[in-house]
Order: sequence, then structure tokens, then C-alpha cells
Amino acid sequence: MKYRVVQIEQSLMKRNDALAGSLRARFAASGTFVVNVLSSPGSGKTTLLQTTLARLAGTHRAGALVGDQATDNDARRLAESGAPVKQITTAAECRLDAEMIGRALEGWEPGPLDVLFIENVGNLICPAEYDLGEDLRVVLFSVTEGEDKPLKYPLAFNTAQLALVTKIDIADAVGFDREAAHRSMREVNPAIEIVELSSRTGTGLEDWLGVLERKIALKRAGAAETASAPIAATVAATAG
Amino acid sequence: MHELSVALSLVENIEDSARLQGFERVLAVRLRIGALSGIAPDALRFSWKLATDGTLAADSALEIEDVPLLVFCERCEAERAPRGGAGLVCPECGNVCPTIVRGRELQLVAVEVPQ
Repeated sequence: MKYRVVQIEQSLMKRNDALAGSLRARFAASGTFVVNVLSSPGSGKTTLLQTTLARLAGTHRAGALVGDQATDNDARRLAESGAPVKQITTAAECRLDAEMIGRALEGWEPGPLDVLFIENVGNLICPAEYDLGEDLRVVLFSVTEGEDKPLKYPLAFNTAQLALVTKIDIADAVGFDREAAHRSMREVNPAIEIVELSSRTGTGLEDWLGVLERKIALKRAGAAETASAPIAATVAATAG
Repeated sequence: MHELSVALSLVENIEDSARLQGFERVLAVRLRIGALSGIAPDALRFSWKLATDGTLAADSALEIEDVPLLVFCERCEAERAPRGGAGLVCPECGNVCPTIVRGRELQLVAVEVPQ
């Protein structure tokens, strides 16, 4: 059959990126710092967030959205901290996307939040492609996983600003090669910050919370600067 | 692993274009898929029939252009193709190159429609 070609040239990520952009604006307006947490299944996302939510309870209003293909077990575990938590069940989908976050926020009234954690579906491939409007992307990597994991899943580590090496308390028992692990992370992202921790023993938790608080403070300072800019401009215009 | 939902959103995008460009049937769909896009072309082909059934793209062919991973090496000042599984490392000089130039594409390039 004779045919003609209709050029389209459209990224399939365009819709997600646009939705993520509006989420980012919405979070900026509400002063909420958003953390997208990625890892393989079983790296310790939920345990880390349980501990983190409990630790932040006195100082920050924190909440969490939790993505899983099935069950609301993780949301129930996180809710034990007393923080507002909502489960997103993704069924066949292997990652969260901006539309799912937007839908989850509808009708959810956690009150004003300083920090929102988004626990992504355990998977290092697909979630890496989807911007959720986050301020910080954290990738977890447990000592049991093999030091070359960042080389196998480069995009997850390339797009994250912070890597948390979890289960560090059993590093010796499993023969974890710290140098090789750090090297492979830096081979996909030389600028990535690395914190080693154990949610179970508490080792390194202060470092993680320190990084988190520093990033939250940086965002607030940036927001204050942006908010004051138009005022300065108005003053200058009046003076001129 | 989310090829079916990618196939479904492709159909949506094609339907949008059909309204704008005034075509009613699609014979073939041209895509560009990057090595790091997380999409397996074979799995996408598998989902394609299911996703297009009963739509304007039913029985259409899927033409996929694979895009290999390319990074920018600041030391060589050139685009380089890292070796598979070796990180984002320049194969020429060994520099780590975190800037991905190509390989994340998931693009609907064009459609072929009856004349």
C-alpha cells in the first residue's frame, strides 16, 4: 500500500515530565521537601524510612507515599511511626510515575509537610526514568547486593544525588568490598554523595539525617531568596 | 518491564496526532529506543498487538531504531560509547563521563499512513 510519513518526534516521557514539573511547583509552594527513594527489592527502603520517620518526628512534619505492586504492608509498617502514610498499589506497573503521585495526593490530607518521602517500587531500572517532582533522589544499595550493581543499573545511580549503602553492620560477614562498591558508584556518577548506614544498629543514621537536613535547609534558603527577589525588584523600580 | 503501558501511551499519542494531522489509519510506527530507556524492544513488540487491537494502529508494524548509549567525555571533548557494564567510562582515556548524550530516548518518531 502507498503511504506517506507523518513526522511526530515526541518523547513518551513528555507527559510525565510535564506532570512532574507541576508537582514540583506544588511542593515548592507548600514548602515540602520531596525525597524519591529507589532501590532493588530488599535493600531496606522500608526499614530505613521507619527509622527515619521516627527520628524526624520531634523536629519535622514528615509523611510518606509508598509504592508496591501489591499489598499495603509497607504503608502499615511506616504508619507505626505515627506519620501520615499512604500506599500506592501499582498492580502491573513496575515503577511510580508523576500521575500516580498526583492521584495519591488527591483526597489525602496529611496536613502541612516539611518532608515527603516517596518509597518507589523495588526496581532499579524503570523508576530511574520517571521524574516524580522530587528535590532529592536517593538510591539504596545494600552490602549483600554485589559491588558492581551501579555498573549494571547505571541510570539509577547516575540520576541520584545520594547513595545510601545499607546493612553496613553485616558488611564484614558478607565480605563486602567497600572500595570496589564506592568505585563502581563513582564510575557512573562522580558527584554522588555516599553514606554508609545500618537502620538496625543506627550506625551512620546521623550522617544520613545530617545530609537530609542540610538539603532541606538549602532548598528553604533558595526559596526565601526567590520569594524576596520580586520585592527587591519592586524597590529598585520605585527608586529608579 | 512496563512495555504494555508504553504501548498504550504510544497509541494515545498516535490518536492525538491523528486528530491534529487528519489521518485515520496507521500502517507503521517508527520509534527510537535508547539502551538505557528500560524498554526491551522485543517485549514492546509483544505488547504492541494487544495495545493496538481495535485502534487506528491495529495490525501496524513497529519499526524500532535502537539508540546506543553515548556519553560526553570532557577530557577528550568528544562523544564516546562506554563499554557495556563498565560504568560511564570513556573507552579512550578512562575518564568518568556522567553526562549522558544519547541512550535515554523513548520517542515516537513518525507514523506511516495510507496515502
